[in-house]
Amino acid sequence: MSSKVIKVAVAGNPNTGKTTLINAIAGTNLHVGNWPGVTIEKKEAKFRYKDYEIHLIDLPGTYSLSNNSAEEKIAVEFLIKEKPDVVIDVVDSTNLERNLYLTVQLLELELPVVIALNMWDEAVAKGIEIDYKKLEKLLCVRAVPTSAVKGEGINQLLDAVIEIFNRKEKPVCVLHFEDPLEEEIKKILRQIEEIQPVLLDLYPKRYLVLSLIEGNESFIDIPVNEKLQQIIQQFRQNIKKLYHRDPVTLIVEERYSIIISIYEQVVKKHPVKSVDITFLLDKVFLHKVLGLPIFFVLMWLLFEFTFELSSPYVDWLDSVLSSFVAPAVSQFLSSMGASEWFRSFVSEGIIGGVGFVLVFVPVLFFLYVFMAFLEGSGYMARAAFLMDRFMSFLGLSGKSFIPMIIGFGCNVPAVYATRTLENPKEKILTVLMIPFMSCGARLTVYAFFVTIFFTQHKTAVIMFLYLLGIAVAVVVAFILQKFFFKTKSYPFVLELPPYRLPTFRFVMKNAWIKTRAFLYEAGTFILATSIVIWFLLHFPIGVKKTEDSVFGHISKVIAPVFEPLGFGNWQAAGALMSGFVAKEVVIATMGNIYVGDVIEEEEKVNIKEGLIEVGKGFVDANIQAGEKLLSIFGLVKTTEEEEEKPDTSLMEAVRNAFTPLTAFSFLVFLLLYTPCMATVFAIKQELNSWKWTGVSIGLSFSSAWIVTFLVYNIGKIFLV
Amino acid sequence: MKLSQVPKGKKCRIKKLDFTPEMKRRLLELGLFPGQEIEVVQDAPFGGPVKIKIKDYCLALRRSEADYIEVEEENEQ
Repeated sequence: MSSKVIKVAVAGNPNTGKTTLINAIAGTNLHVGNWPGVTIEKKEAKFRYKDYEIHLIDLPGTYSLSNNSAEEKIAVEFLIKEKPDVVIDVVDSTNLERNLYLTVQLLELELPVVIALNMWDEAVAKGIEIDYKKLEKLLCVRAVPTSAVKGEGINQLLDAVIEIFNRKEKPVCVLHFEDPLEEEIKKILRQIEEIQPVLLDLYPKRYLVLSLIEGNESFIDIPVNEKLQQIIQQFRQNIKKLYHRDPVTLIVEERYSIIISIYEQVVKKHPVKSVDITFLLDKVFLHKVLGLPIFFVLMWLLFEFTFELSSPYVDWLDSVLSSFVAPAVSQFLSSMGASEWFRSFVSEGIIGGVGFVLVFVPVLFFLYVFMAFLEGSGYMARAAFLMDRFMSFLGLSGKSFIPMIIGFGCNVPAVYATRTLENPKEKILTVLMIPFMSCGARLTVYAFFVTIFFTQHKTAVIMFLYLLGIAVAVVVAFILQKFFFKTKSYPFVLELPPYRLPTFRFVMKNAWIKTRAFLYEAGTFILATSIVIWFLLHFPIGVKKTEDSVFGHISKVIAPVFEPLGFGNWQAAGALMSGFVAKEVVIATMGNIYVGDVIEEEEKVNIKEGLIEVGKGFVDANIQAGEKLLSIFGLVKTTEEEEEKPDTSLMEAVRNAFTPLTAFSFLVFLLLYTPCMATVFAIKQELNSWKWTGVSIGLSFSSAWIVTFLVYNIGKIFLV
Repeated sequence: MKLSQVPKGKKCRIKKLDFTPEMKRRLLELGLFPGQEIEVVQDAPFGGPVKIKIKDYCLALRRSEADYIEVEEENEQ
């Protein structure tokens, strides 16, 4: 027997534990992507349950279906066009009244609904008793108490979905408004039937009529008949006279009066002696004086967690690839009689490219863990609350502060951290600002240069560069705000949900699903780009000097662009070009260009010993991460890593090639131009748009050129 | 009285919303309709947003927005 497919859409307000519930239902079957053409996350899963194949689609979290935000548009369009077999409506049992607003609208769409009364356990603890059998009757739906966090009620929920799916008659209650209004609605329906009946074939009738009355027509694809429009307009006028309020207020109030009457029949509140933890925690976290310092401490912890804890794993992955996998493969290939060129291609081009991708995995994983914790606990909304005042100057909300802070560690996770920003405009603006945050990889280049040119003022120079990055980001944001985002500002309405403790399993699963999405999407692009760059460096075949390679020729062609900035030679241009791949390879490329290839002796690799080393290394990485975790909290002091000895011949060569001023200009340019290809592809993945990715690259290069030009020429005046 | 003038910890009732249609709809749908009880719980530093309690949940609004919500004092009975 072939199984039946049930298409299930999951709707619900934000902060109802919808994501956790979906995780509990679908587990790792879940795939994270984007809705077409927008930056809003789309989660889907296909799995078998009993004799059915369930196809689950997570709709964006919305408070209503009135079509006035990108999220609502997606949800409405999906529900009307795709007609899911069943809709699971996730509601927060502790906040039923507001949550039922969406439910009422789902019923207006004439969809079979199963309500998941989520956070049931929390409601019980708060003394909220919900007669869900009665709720089922009043709304003609199935209602199932669930606790996504504890994994309770999941099977019952799926059983209810199947039950509804198998019902021949799908009962849909019409929730009646007060009589005179209801009469008018009927009248309009008759008019539509007469004038433009096709509308009734295309759209659910009650939703259609109410939307027309509310003046919300953006979901209607065909032009509405003029006569019909006049009738509606007349009716809207009448409403104002009869009810002394505008149509939207009237309809919303009617919906709420139905909800309130249901709520009063279904919900009983028993007084319980319990402390309102959220109230108490907010007293501390949102405190006028303490709130901000606590926030900054938490941000520092986030930073430490993401970058310190992941660094042992990054180092381990790096060493596995460069000192075990690459030589082992190379050895194998040479035993097969492969040419040196091909061996180099595999070990440097391919394995090196894989390395560029893999080093981000631990960082992203730790970031997602901490972000899931911030979001799941409810603190993210508080962070937005605290920082809102400052960020609103830039047309952003408090939430965008967090991705920018992460940007100082690495721009790639920072771009992914913007996933928490719901407002598309804010998200785009934040993503465009992130590349100006000077990341850790850029610091390695600064460090190299300041030890050569600015030994007296090391800190001052580096500090200046960081601040310059921030300043340029702010200026860019202002300009974009003025000229490109003239759209009316989004209303700032921020729910402050109760504090909750996210479960370890949820946090881990969530982090893994998102890290996996990075590997598939951005990973492929990064690998491809690094292979292309390798070809540029090693073509024509057998080329010995970088200068003679395609890469060298391109560098020579673009070098004049940098002439007005003070470093118009091909060597500098080449170093910057390689910096597009990743900033940490800039110094290596310079070594290559100025000093020449260092011929590495090929080590013999013993596979067995190598594997043991790899295993040992992983254990060591875990121990180091543990130590770092303790040291973050000041419990243990970790030993400082030994600094690598700088290459003195390279330093000499660079000292001759640059003056302090041109070196400084070079650093300014390096700070501002596109951080790396990984960031570029992260931007592509997160904004789901090549256009904005292009804008970001364009912005980085133009601002880098302009600012460096200014710095160099002003510097020349003062130094001459 | 404007919502932005209501002291912390004070309950009041919404009288009127003075917004563009889009923002008004959003607030209405969140339950901020005339007659609804509302309480200012906390406010953010440096003139940041205010935290209000409405129905069974809490919401943050910017001060510039709280300016356009007209409220009246709760009749104490």
